[in-house]
Amino acid sequence: MAKRITKHQNCELPNLGEEISFTFNGKRIKAFTGDSITSALIASGNTLLSRSFKYHRPRGAYDVFGQGHESLVSVNHEPNMLADSIQVQNGMVVKSQNVWPSVEFDLGEVNDLFVPMLPNGFYYKMFHKPKWLWPIAEHQIRKVAGLGKIDVTGKHVHRRYEKHYRFPDVCVVGGGPSGLAAAKGALDEGKQVLLIDDNTQLGGHSLHSIFPVNNCENESLNGLPENQAVQKLIKELAANPNLEVMVNTSVFGLYEDNLVAAQSGPDLFKIRSESVVLAPGATDRHLVFENNDRPGILTARGVEKLIMCHAVLPGEDTVVVTTHDGGFHTALLLKGAGANVVAVVDGRESGSAGEFEEQVRNLAVPVYKGLTVHAAHGKKRIRRIDIGPISGGDSHKSFDCDLLVMAVGFKPQVNLLSMGRKRPVWDAERQILRVTDLPSGMYSTGEVHGSAGFTRLFGEGIKTGKAAAKKKSVESSKRSEDELIMALPADIESGGKNHFICKCMDVTRYEAQASIDEGYDQVESLKRYSSMGMGPCQGKACHEAVARLAAQDTGLSSLDAVPTTMRPPFSGVSFGILAGRAPHLSPISRTPFHQCHIDLGAKFLNAGQWKRPDSYIDPQKEAGYVRNGLGMIDVSTLGKIEISGPDAIDFLQFMLPGKYGKFEVGRTRYSIMVGEDGILFEDGTISHLEQGKYYLSTTTGNQDAINALFQWWLLVEDFDVQVKNLSLANAAVNVTGAESREFLQKLVKIDMSNEAFPYMHCRQASIAGVPVSFYRIGFTGELGYEIHFPSEYGESMWNHLMAEGEEFALNPFGVETQRILRLEKGHFIPGTDTDALSSPYETGVGFAIKDDKVDFVGKAFVQNFKERGIENKLVPYQLEPNDPIPDDGVAVLEKGKIAGRVTSSRLSPTLKRGIGLAWVRNEMAETGNNFTIRLANGSDVVATVLDHSVYDPEGLRLKS
Amino acid sequence: MSFQLNCPNCGKRAVSEFTFKSEFKNRPAADAEFSEWTDYVFFRENNMGRQIEWWYHRSGCQSWFLAERDTLNNSDHKSFWYGDLGQHSKNSDGEA
Repeated sequence: MAKRITKHQNCELPNLGEEISFTFNGKRIKAFTGDSITSALIASGNTLLSRSFKYHRPRGAYDVFGQGHESLVSVNHEPNMLADSIQVQNGMVVKSQNVWPSVEFDLGEVNDLFVPMLPNGFYYKMFHKPKWLWPIAEHQIRKVAGLGKIDVTGKHVHRRYEKHYRFPDVCVVGGGPSGLAAAKGALDEGKQVLLIDDNTQLGGHSLHSIFPVNNCENESLNGLPENQAVQKLIKELAANPNLEVMVNTSVFGLYEDNLVAAQSGPDLFKIRSESVVLAPGATDRHLVFENNDRPGILTARGVEKLIMCHAVLPGEDTVVVTTHDGGFHTALLLKGAGANVVAVVDGRESGSAGEFEEQVRNLAVPVYKGLTVHAAHGKKRIRRIDIGPISGGDSHKSFDCDLLVMAVGFKPQVNLLSMGRKRPVWDAERQILRVTDLPSGMYSTGEVHGSAGFTRLFGEGIKTGKAAAKKKSVESSKRSEDELIMALPADIESGGKNHFICKCMDVTRYEAQASIDEGYDQVESLKRYSSMGMGPCQGKACHEAVARLAAQDTGLSSLDAVPTTMRPPFSGVSFGILAGRAPHLSPISRTPFHQCHIDLGAKFLNAGQWKRPDSYIDPQKEAGYVRNGLGMIDVSTLGKIEISGPDAIDFLQFMLPGKYGKFEVGRTRYSIMVGEDGILFEDGTISHLEQGKYYLSTTTGNQDAINALFQWWLLVEDFDVQVKNLSLANAAVNVTGAESREFLQKLVKIDMSNEAFPYMHCRQASIAGVPVSFYRIGFTGELGYEIHFPSEYGESMWNHLMAEGEEFALNPFGVETQRILRLEKGHFIPGTDTDALSSPYETGVGFAIKDDKVDFVGKAFVQNFKERGIENKLVPYQLEPNDPIPDDGVAVLEKGKIAGRVTSSRLSPTLKRGIGLAWVRNEMAETGNNFTIRLANGSDVVATVLDHSVYDPEGLRLKS
Repeated sequence: MSFQLNCPNCGKRAVSEFTFKSEFKNRPAADAEFSEWTDYVFFRENNMGRQIEWWYHRSGCQSWFLAERDTLNNSDHKSFWYGDLGQHSKNSDGEA
């Protein structure tokens, strides 16, 4: 049984902190503040943490560093948290996932009995035919597959996700001995260093090593055991003000130009540095043998961590399987903690015994040479193991034990290095997958190039840190004879069908071979078909085994062991982290009248970044105000661009398709804008306000793009012109309705009469001492004036107009009302009623083009459109009274086939029937022609093409 | 895409601050053949290697500039103003 230990013969035990408690599957568990969830659970005898993905096999703690999937639990209703990496807090609620009814008794376990019926790709094969079966099967599969459940109520998680940015000179990833040394090397060169580690404290594997330090270039560390040496080093570094340390922070991605992405709780860090040093270290190698997934099988470093960092002895009768002196180090730590070490099984045939091997032999622990583990027995906890030759075959011997420690060499954590666009290759000398050639500015050091003693890791780290500081290249030093660890065969071929290569996705060697037999004999297709390495750990645990076994089973040599591509994220990243604080990141723009709209009870809508009043009471009613009297709308979101300078007219002639040769002061004109491809993308008005000064208004949301476009053209073409973007400097309202003239005349001294200030003209004046400009245009179809004035007068001007307008029953109206009003006039909105294929002629604004000019933007294609004629046409239409109103975007049909689409559709308050704009084929576009609109519910209505706007076709009202 | 682009005004910034317009091309003469116009509007060199491009520092100084970029790895690019294009081409020729 596992237990908490109070003394150790070989080392000091850590201070565990205060006693607290939490619940695991409803059961109260005692713990200490220094515990991880895993260490507390093991200490209290909870071997079983989770069930496997497919066969629901029992799984327990394995590596204790959060690399695998075994420790995935839900913590305080947040799913898929790694129990290994989370520090216990008092009152925490921890639950197992993917189990029913409980982790101890899981009915899904029956899957394990039906292994032959659940081969790879069985989803694709089994429920394919008949067709009706799939939806039923899918429902069942979804119920049992997958991992944690998301708390969709949002009741339990109150998190605010934030993004942070860091710009250190050198960013060091990994706080083990190599990372610490690299940080020191860079600090010694006077650099600002950011050091990141995903554990709760710095120190890496040195924290639980008592290997003595010798011949270290930092002489003050010599003679100390490794755990004390690393603490001394950490203390020394902590005093340096140029160092920032982030623990509990996992780097999940490495991107171009040294962009490092890291997650710490609800915080995302984007780190950009001159140099990145990767020192992610190595983990105990994953060995494949019969029942290698059973609870009670732990990695050596995991066991060491449990003993030395948490004072937890994870078992009583122990067998250590090893291939290097580190395994004997673990055995000694187990022995010193009071465990019964039944045997140490060393895969090496011969070779000189290391320091710890001698110590272990001196304690009369039986040591078996040239053998390794063949199989584990026991279900929820191992009971017994068999050992035999490393080449497999028959087993020699069995031991009863409840803890099997795996110390069969180290697997470099190459994922982050590999994200630097280089594939790892098998290094036959070092017997590991290695990435050597990193892009410039990226460095790597430490056990990622093969395990080594503290002294070498320290020396190499310092050298790499200094090189990173100076941006010079550096090579990883050779490993000495006694540092090299021979790899065992990736799979110990001892019979049985439960040799798990990928524990996350429950893929065995047997299944992998079956997939290869089916033709998936490339490692990438094998991965996709069998789903090996596609589970929660994303191959961190198994990619080496997958690569080696895939090479072996497809008849390649060990040198051809290539793992599948490693991509971000390296560790699980919550969606909240990626989304950030709000659902969208763009800033919110409010008009100067925003508070007035709130006071009037407006309902808002998002128009690009803008908040605009959709309506105040009811769009149909508001339309009535405009049609029968007086209304006012906030149009501050229009783009407003001032163009002046000696070549202003030439510039307009070039930028716009119209002609401006005779453009007198006081005139306003409608204009469209086309791109070089001749496609209409914008319309607005252009006014000649003062001699040589022109004022262009564009649609909402386009102002920045149009300003940028103008700036570009000014750069590449030779015009002496100034373009000023006044979009935010000026606020604007449109006062419209038959009574607008009478109302405004009351406020200004200039003559507003139809003779003095006709339709499509502009004037300057002042209202209440504020300079304003008037543009008499007619988007709503009524007599109307756009009033532009400096934004800083926004609220007071709005309130002044509302107060003065009271006697004329002035009412505000919203964007939805405006859309209805303009639709009654048949006016289109670029981007709403047009798209990237809309030629100006087909849109019906060919009149705005004068293509006999020498040159203008889009001339070649506009002329081409003209020659090609009209294929489709944007037409106004009306429905019969009482016909339902189609949704925007529904299809137009001709003889049962799609022949166009509705772009805008509304109920006309004037005609009391549906009206709209639709793209139809030219032959359908004749006035009076009928066409069919297919509603979203599948029924049809018949529309009639109009040749004019439904409201005031002669434009008498707006010209009155 | 996470590389950094050098704005001639503001220096190195994340590429997300910029808007890419197009490869650098000369606009055909107004009376050029229509095929020349279709080439200009619709066809891209799509070089594998170095090419000169238009970029706009949207979230910064709002300036247009040209950048010679290696499309293969985005590395070691050079940014300059449109007015310095002649000088840049001269320098590049010198190198080659």
